[in-house]
Amino acid sequence: MGDVFKKIYDWVDERIDLKGLEAKMLREPMPGGSRYAYAFGSALLFVFIMQATTGIFLMFYYAPTADHAYESTKFILEELSFGWLILGIHNWGSSVMVVGVLFHMLQVFIWGAYKKPREMVWMAGVVLMLIVLGFGFTGYLLPWDQRAFWATTVGVEIMDKAPIVGDFMARFLRGGPVPGALTLNRFFVIHVMILPAALVGVFALHLFFFRKAGPAGPFSGTKQELEKKMEYFFPRQVYKDIVVMGIVFLIITGLAVSFPVELLDEASPEPTDYNPEPEWYFLFLFQLLRFPMFAGEFGEFVGGILLPGLIVAFLISLPFIFRNPERHPKKRLVGMATLVILLTGIVVLTLLAIASRSE
Amino acid sequence: MMNLKIKSRVRCTDREVGEVSHVVVNAVTKEISHLVLATGGSAGGQRLVPIEDVSEADSNGVVTLRRASSELSSYPAFSREEFLELKEVELAGVERRLHVHSGEPLVPIPHLEKDVSRRTFFTNFTNAIGVVLALPLLYPVLRYLIHPMYIPFNNNWLTLGDVSTLEPDKPKLIKFMKTVKEGYLTREFQKSHWVVKPSEELRKKIYEGEPVEFEDGKGRVYWKNDPEDAVVVMSGKCPHLGCAFKWKENHKRFGKVFWCPCHLSIYDASGKVLDGPAPRRLDILPTRIGPGGKVEIIDAEFKAGKTEMIRII
Repeated sequence: MGDVFKKIYDWVDERIDLKGLEAKMLREPMPGGSRYAYAFGSALLFVFIMQATTGIFLMFYYAPTADHAYESTKFILEELSFGWLILGIHNWGSSVMVVGVLFHMLQVFIWGAYKKPREMVWMAGVVLMLIVLGFGFTGYLLPWDQRAFWATTVGVEIMDKAPIVGDFMARFLRGGPVPGALTLNRFFVIHVMILPAALVGVFALHLFFFRKAGPAGPFSGTKQELEKKMEYFFPRQVYKDIVVMGIVFLIITGLAVSFPVELLDEASPEPTDYNPEPEWYFLFLFQLLRFPMFAGEFGEFVGGILLPGLIVAFLISLPFIFRNPERHPKKRLVGMATLVILLTGIVVLTLLAIASRSE
Repeated sequence: MMNLKIKSRVRCTDREVGEVSHVVVNAVTKEISHLVLATGGSAGGQRLVPIEDVSEADSNGVVTLRRASSELSSYPAFSREEFLELKEVELAGVERRLHVHSGEPLVPIPHLEKDVSRRTFFTNFTNAIGVVLALPLLYPVLRYLIHPMYIPFNNNWLTLGDVSTLEPDKPKLIKFMKTVKEGYLTREFQKSHWVVKPSEELRKKIYEGEPVEFEDGKGRVYWKNDPEDAVVVMSGKCPHLGCAFKWKENHKRFGKVFWCPCHLSIYDASGKVLDGPAPRRLDILPTRIGPGGKVEIIDAEFKAGKTEMIRII
């Protein structure tokens, strides 16, 4: 058996240089050795593959038209064998993906791994973050229930507040002046075609940039120590990555089983008694727009467009703002303080939004 | 840089001791860290010599060490099993950093491409064909995508549900059916707006002595609400960011108010903003009393988040 396998391997290797491929994929030196802290990127890739797989499964039964989207989602949830599980995994996978992006960025930031020569790795990463949020925003509409409809109504209305292009962008996304049947078609095609293509493309760049620059390794330790503990990516980092992927898989399926997806009433411009609210990771932006300082035409622009835009611009240009090559967090007080302020702000705003739910 | 070549002869300070059989690259620094010295003779073996101990590597391919031949035994023995070949690992950019090479290999430019102007011509033509193919498509593709985005206003009068149970100054959501054709799909669905039967006081507050006028996009007035109408209809869409607001009889601070659960805008019964981020008052809709006392409206919608009422549908 082993002989046959080896013959096949050699046959393929002779033609496409499998050994070279193995070298490229697996034998990348990691200064300071493997660590669980480095597993977030691989875990995210894993969640994306899960999302893509469950997404394809959902499309076997989901009908992306306003007159059938809700019914088909209901069918998947209530009648289809294990439909609730597939949809549950896809639903919770999206939240875990956002949390994963946050952890991944935090790790890279704390390790100072976005600094020269890894600026482009970081920038491609920020674009990936935006794509992931885009997935969340567009996917939210697809079940076509009240939650979906109203979150989208408000979300697109916020985009409308961008100067000059806002009105066009909002109409483009909605496929009309108000949300309706064509909005669903547009969100669907963005969710299942445009964003996946964009994600795969930018991810390829992210990985390419990363491989060109190489892993940053720990933020402390002498050159001798780093060399002494050096390991290749395979086998120990691969092992640690798989362990983390396994844990992530258990978390997602555990959530899907424990907290099944709830479908509200079918989407309708008739409000019923549902109080609109976006997905939890957009709650801080939602809360922001409740403050008096973001009231009125200009306030909305500042709170809904300018401030989030500035945060993204800040993230993109991070490697050029903190240019000191020092990577140890204890020696980067300004950077760490910025991080704490930003995170505290987001957490406080999110909690405020949750606290005022009952009002 | 050093002229390190495989097979270079190696000299110690006192005599020639062998030749370079391998060079070793550090995976982290991507620099040469050692050379492997193969000593000849009966005591032949291979030893790892740190690159720091090389004093010179000349153009004749002779590598000189800083040590005497008697000190060679202090170098660790080289064992091939402890190393991978360079092509078996992924050391990005190592070619640029390694200071060992056997000269640049060259590849000839094909005969047909030797003429620079010819090459430029083909490059430019390739780009030009791309542009020629793409440009005519730009306009149709744009039109294709924006087709449903700008549609004319619908000024049909729709009949609201029963308003006979209205109590004065107590707004109520009244339902009506609306049929819309969106692309391929014609749907009939239920919508609702807030209808209030105003007392004289509230009526004054709403109309402030003037009829409410509605203009189309070109500044022409297409409808005036009669201030004497029995009811006033206010759009169910919050003028802040388009949520559906509610009527609350017991708001902690303001008492009886319209209250939007999204961003907490608060309006009084006349639709005036009391608190929260809303940029304008609630939108009053074009209303008339039809035959049999039924309330009819034009289901206009106005852009949320603007100080002015800008009609969008």
